[in-house]
Amino acid sequence: MKMKLQPTTAGAPPEPDTPEALLDDIDREIRRLSRFSSRGLWALALFLVISILVGNGVASVILPDRIVAVLGKPPSPWAISLLLVVYTFFAIILSLSRFMGGIEHRSSFCHVGYLTAFFLFYHGARALNDNYWAVVGAGVTILGVESYRIWSYCHETIARRQALLAHVRRTGRLPAEE
Amino acid sequence: MFRTLAGRALVLVGVTVTGFMVVCCLILYSAIRTSVNRDAVLNATNLADTILKSTRYAMLKSDRETLATTIRNIGEQKGVEHVRIFNKQGVVTFSAHPNELYRRIDKTSEGCIPCHSGPVPSTRLGTMEQARTFRNGTGREIMAIMAPIYNEPDCSSAPCHVHPPNRKILGMLDVGLSRDNLTRSLAVIRLQMVLFTLMVLVITIVGVTALLRRTVFIPLNRLKIFVVQTEEGREPPSVPSRLPDDLERMAQRIDRIARRSGAGGADRDG
Repeated sequence: MKMKLQPTTAGAPPEPDTPEALLDDIDREIRRLSRFSSRGLWALALFLVISILVGNGVASVILPDRIVAVLGKPPSPWAISLLLVVYTFFAIILSLSRFMGGIEHRSSFCHVGYLTAFFLFYHGARALNDNYWAVVGAGVTILGVESYRIWSYCHETIARRQALLAHVRRTGRLPAEE
Repeated sequence: MFRTLAGRALVLVGVTVTGFMVVCCLILYSAIRTSVNRDAVLNATNLADTILKSTRYAMLKSDRETLATTIRNIGEQKGVEHVRIFNKQGVVTFSAHPNELYRRIDKTSEGCIPCHSGPVPSTRLGTMEQARTFRNGTGREIMAIMAPIYNEPDCSSAPCHVHPPNRKILGMLDVGLSRDNLTRSLAVIRLQMVLFTLMVLVITIVGVTALLRRTVFIPLNRLKIFVVQTEEGREPPSVPSRLPDDLERMAQRIDRIARRSGAGGADRDG
């Protein structure tokens, strides 16, 4: 039997367990997921901007000698490259694991930070020109996989929420399994 | 593309594998190039030392004709772009190209900066600091080595012309070598890496497609046909055989549901 939706007082929040409250919650969740789905792309865009700035020589404003004076002698370019390969590998594995598990994880911008640190490390070791494209490639791969993971998760969850919304509108309550 | 199973599987796998391969190839290429450049500088420095040792006797005896002939002969070798000796004042006193003779070199030019950047010129340079790379007037990439000619005890006591003992450096030997072969080799290595990455990408996509098709799409298609036939109420089809276990169990449940609803329908009609 279909439940009638009771009209609420204008401006007053609906009661927690009423169909209106459920619809509000689900709708809010759908909007949050819609905003969240583009998080990966924003992180990728930010990384590309940073890469373009570094590629145009912005990093040369910070002299390598100053970096050495503040942070000490940098590791050798070979050690930094090895670390980049290991980081890329494990970042991809982690992202794929979260993708397999359907986990909502708000990473992405942390990778932008890590990759910017790699630019700085190479700049301090005076090997940025030789390894610039390796960092850009790693960033595009990791952030590309992250973007896809986040988009895929949001896409599926929004579809489930929309089915839930339709169910609540039809019956006025959540399905038994929810 | 993302609405199909194939699209979802292939895009992620393709991007992940290709991206990781590209990063590894870029880093490997960078390491190879650094190593090759370092070896080229060491070889060039050895050549410069060999030239200095070969011409030492001629310099000691102030045999300018022998020295000039030696420099000219070395300059005619394939791969040698220029050979010249500057004196302390930066004037070219010997050169494989006669038109360079007696030209004064500016201390602020690229080859001179490593020693002359400070108020007191350096007297020692590391091996890698002796090298510089530039493009000459014809657009060819050249690697040049600047090797100091040190004032040794024999030099300051030779009877022909005497250098004061307090002068540390008597002049500089500047040898320029063509990097054409090196550039060509690096380009070949680069091309091989690109081809290797493309091959890995193609094999990955083909492999994933083949695997998905055999183990997922073909059984799913057979299950789909069975479900459609069951739904249309045709002569009860037999459960497809040799499906993966999960799909076979699903097909058997669909068959039982269909038989139950077919039996229930018969009861209702009866």
